[in-house]
This record gives sequence, structure tokens and C-alpha cells, in this order.
Amino acid sequence: MRYDIAIIGTGPAGVSAALTAKNRNKNFLLIGSRSGSEKIRKTHMVLNYPGLPDVSGEALNQAFLDQLQDAGIGITDKRVANVYAMDGYFTLQVDRDFIEASTVILTTGTSFGRPLPGENENLGRGVSYCATCDAPLYKGKETVVVGYSPKEEAEAAFLSETCSKVTYIPMYKGKVRLPESVEVISGRPVSVEKADGKMRLNLAPFAGAEGEERHIDASCIFLLRESVAPDKLVPGLQLDGNHVKTDRSMATNLPGLFAAGDLTGLPYQISKAAGEGNIAAISAAQYLDKRK
Amino acid sequence: MSVRVINSAEFNDSIKTGVSVVDFNAKWCGPCRMLGPVLEKLSGEMADVRFYAVDVDEDPDVAEQFHITSIPYVAVFRDGQKVAENVGFIPEPAMKAFIQQNI
Repeated sequence: MRYDIAIIGTGPAGVSAALTAKNRNKNFLLIGSRSGSEKIRKTHMVLNYPGLPDVSGEALNQAFLDQLQDAGIGITDKRVANVYAMDGYFTLQVDRDFIEASTVILTTGTSFGRPLPGENENLGRGVSYCATCDAPLYKGKETVVVGYSPKEEAEAAFLSETCSKVTYIPMYKGKVRLPESVEVISGRPVSVEKADGKMRLNLAPFAGAEGEERHIDASCIFLLRESVAPDKLVPGLQLDGNHVKTDRSMATNLPGLFAAGDLTGLPYQISKAAGEGNIAAISAAQYLDKRK
Repeated sequence: MSVRVINSAEFNDSIKTGVSVVDFNAKWCGPCRMLGPVLEKLSGEMADVRFYAVDVDEDPDVAEQFHITSIPYVAVFRDGQKVAENVGFIPEPAMKAFIQQNI
């Protein structure tokens, strides 16, 4: 089954796109966090959102979620690892499944983290963002997983079934639930480099903690962040600096793929994101209608 | 023309002369399955280039030879020498451009 539109991201751009897509009677999937936008939730007060004067970030985020629920729009709370531009449609890798959509709207925001020194140069050559994709290549080998959220514990557990040894470094506080065979260590990743024929992850102690700098060597270092930079998420996507390049219809260089919100650049404003999400959905609907 | 599957025994002879494109893949690799038809299509369009595929599970020694750590991995060879490589899926227009700039 191929969806008309796959919307990735549940911030104001994604929510707005979904509401408009529903209005246009399109068959769509809204993929992202069920809690909406962390950025908005953590904002104390929003003063310039039209229609909702002086609203707290938490209340505004909840209003978006409530509206989705009232409209009967569900959120698929999974992670999109990759979006592949095929001949006239897109294939998305969503957790361990592949789904197809005729068009895609990217509203993944700007929280993908700065790469570590050595990360980009070694990507695909000992650094990976996807445990599911690359696990079989490291059968019987040692790997390191840096998990930026508890969701990544499942990935480390999956790797431990194939690899001879998995070392897990949590970048969050709280109890870590992993098989006994996985060694959990504490440290802050500083850089990645090739050393002695392996990949080396250099670590420093967390601020205020005791300890010295050290390193771990492995066949592969998995850096599992909440979101991936857009050009890594969508191979072939044209960027403009750190942002996705779009025209005024929110179209990108890949036909049928649109982008909206903070992802397309400044200003980082909620009403701008909502506006762009709306435009992207209308553009996607027009693109689909033209092809019928 | 189409993409011919080769094994480690045939590898060196296949790429010895001319321009060859080799797709290193595996059956369990989703993006590899998506890239397959793209290369198949390009093999029909690019008459002067020979296209091959190697399954890294069936022929791990060839994969080892090129230190392949992520697939799909596409390499362009000219007269037996590797001149370019691309790791991961890229859309058809990008793959065509990649091959053309390395012919």
C-alpha cells in the first residue's frame, strides 16, 4: 500500500501539514514523536502566535496535539532512518519496516546535533547511524554504540545478538536496560578517528566528573541520535548550509519531496513553521493531483 | 546490457579492462534491493560501461579486499584499478552523474 503523503515530524510544521492534507482528502502517514515538539514544550511563553496570545509553550504544544486528535489524525511514533528517492515515489525505512509514499514532507527541525570531529569523514567506513542496517556486517566483531536516548537501548541489544562485543555509552541519565553481555560505560564522546586499523572513539569525562580521557577501539562506532541531518536522512537532497533548500512552494530538488519549518531556515518561528507546513501539504496535493 | 552477478573467481578478469561498475550488496540489505533496479536501468543506458554485482555474504573475500564496511557499496574500475566509490543508496540521477564523472 502506497501512501499519498508521508509527513515526517510532529512539530508545528508537521501538524499544520497533516491538518491540510486531511482537508485535501489525502491518504497520509504522520510520523514522529507522540509528544509533539520538545522545543515548544520547553518554551516558557509564546507571545506572537496569531489567535493564541500569551500562551505557554506547553499549552500551545498540547493544543496542536489535541487538534490532531480531534481531527482523527494518529501519530506513528517511530523513527525514520532513511528516505530513498525512487522512480516516481519514495521508500522510507521506518524502524525495521519499509513503507512507500508518493510524496514526502520533511518537517524534522534543526535538532540533529553537530557532528563529532572525524564523524563525517568516516561515515560508512566505520561510523554508522543505523544498527539495523549494518549489524550483519559486524558479525563476530566488536562495536560501540553511543545512544542519545533510551530508545537506542533496543538497537544495542539487537547488535549484541550478532557482534562479539557491544559497548554502550548512554548520553542521558537514568537506568539503562540492556542484556548482561553489553558493557555500559560512562563518558562524553569527543572525536572519532581511524587507529591501528580500527575505529577509535575518544572519550572525555562528563563535566564535573572524575576521570581521564580515554578511548575505545572497535570495528564500528554507531552514533544513534534522535534525528539525522537531512542530507544523510535523504540521500541526494540539496542543502543550503545546514538547511534544506526549497522554493516558495516548499519543493526541494527532489520532485515530490517538500520541506517545511525550522528545517528550511530562518527565522525559527512557530507561525512560520505552521505556514510552511500548510504550503507544503497544498503543494504535495497539487503534485499528486497533476499526476492522476 | 544488464548487471551480471559475478563471484570472487571471476572478479579480477571481469574488471581487468575498460570501465566497470561493481555493486557490492547482500540479500538482507534493504537499500541494496532498492539500488539494484537503478543500476539495472543505467546498465541499459550506458553502453560503454560493464555492470557487475557481488554478494558480500557469498564472496566475503572480495568485500575484504576493498575494506567494505557499509553497503550498498558501488565502485567504478578503470582497467582493473578502482577510481571511485559510493557508499549507500543515492537516487538514479545522482548515481548516473557519479558514474559519468568517473568514466
